[in-house]
Amino acid sequence: MSEENTVLDVSGMNCPIPIIKAKQALKDLEPGAVLEIISTDPASEGDFELLAKQTGNELLETNIDGEKFIFKLQKA
Amino acid sequence: MEELSNIHIVSGAGFALAFIFGVVGNKTQYCTMGAISDWVNFQNRGRFAAWVFAMALAIIGVQLLELFDLVAVNESRYRVPSFAWLGYVLGGLLFGIGMTLSGGCGQRTLVRMGNGSLKSLFVFLVMGISAYMTLRGLLGVLRVDYIEPFTVDLSDKGIADQGLHQMINYWVSGSASTGLAAAAGVLIAALMLFWALRQPGFIGNSNNVLAGSTIGLCVVGGWLATGWLGLDDFDPVPIESFSFIAPSGNTLMYLMTYTGATISFGVVMVAGIVFGSFVYGLLTRSLRLEAFSQSGDMVAHFVGAALMGFGGILALGCTIGQGVSGISTLALGSFVATASILFGSAVTLRAQYHRFSDMAWITAFGKGLVDIVLMRRDD
Repeated sequence: MSEENTVLDVSGMNCPIPIIKAKQALKDLEPGAVLEIISTDPASEGDFELLAKQTGNELLETNIDGEKFIFKLQKA
Repeated sequence: MEELSNIHIVSGAGFALAFIFGVVGNKTQYCTMGAISDWVNFQNRGRFAAWVFAMALAIIGVQLLELFDLVAVNESRYRVPSFAWLGYVLGGLLFGIGMTLSGGCGQRTLVRMGNGSLKSLFVFLVMGISAYMTLRGLLGVLRVDYIEPFTVDLSDKGIADQGLHQMINYWVSGSASTGLAAAAGVLIAALMLFWALRQPGFIGNSNNVLAGSTIGLCVVGGWLATGWLGLDDFDPVPIESFSFIAPSGNTLMYLMTYTGATISFGVVMVAGIVFGSFVYGLLTRSLRLEAFSQSGDMVAHFVGAALMGFGGILALGCTIGQGVSGISTLALGSFVATASILFGSAVTLRAQYHRFSDMAWITAFGKGLVDIVLMRRDD
């Protein structure tokens, strides 16, 4: 977990909450800033790929750590 | 050896179809609420196109079944001349709100339950109880006293069947021409196929194609199982296909009254989906227990599940029951119910977005409603 990244922990939440909360969090970030999202919903892997593709934000990383999915999204 | 009864044969076929549905549901993580969420949240229509593709396939299949006189789909509950418009609209809206609050429709709930989600088990229990209460319990009084009196009998207007293709046929030819009705049905399906195939994110995504094809074909299979395989004048079974709300309630009753209860297509369908999803999870080692981590999330799931049970019975089905099985019969009520589900879900998705800006639920719903009506995107 990097200090400069904004972290959004949506563990235990299912679709559509992780996506909606990420959209809300991205809204408040400056361009270039990185949002780190921690999710436990298996469906969120596809959801965040799609979110990045559709919004132009870049999905820098997707890491799977046990039951946790950690995404790093950079705001365009 | 005792001979298998008609319902056991139909149930066997239903279980096999539902098993496939469950395996594919878990593999693709397909979700109709997710399809609406993709569209509302980031204007992607790939998953929604999979749903429309399933509808189109199912319509074509049912048209063929009707044309070759294999299944009397007009005898199903969707095509009856009593047009319960208030139930379709109100039930659809409540169902749409409910499935969004509880993280998925009936089908998604069963698939996740099979993969080990205790959250989905909770949703299934609340949804099933609420559905059964609306069918035969306390909430049934509300349904009978306040919703059913608004039902319009279309046969009073000379319409014996609420199939859109039958209405088009009647208006064009003034008679019951099967060929013309089938042509009208295929035309509607062709328009849906055309739209679905043009959406980016559908054909290029194998999960969407697999989910859409499987759902559409399973629904046709369901009609064949109950309407053709189960055709027996001396031992009839209701003509139906995939649907999850009333069957969830009936499954709970079946489990509680097993020694005096009879198996049904709906009960095995619920069991088949859960088992199919479980087997897929087992083989891919993706089974995992999932529980509520926050009380607020549990409350949202409880309210959502109760609304799904109540709304799904009023609307005569869910996103698969009305949204694919019903639409495959081209019943007018199925289009109304499905549109209401979409609207209710879309408004709730926008309300959730506003809610996370610390807005009160009522204000968030008002804002969500304005967003959807004016087709407004993010602030």
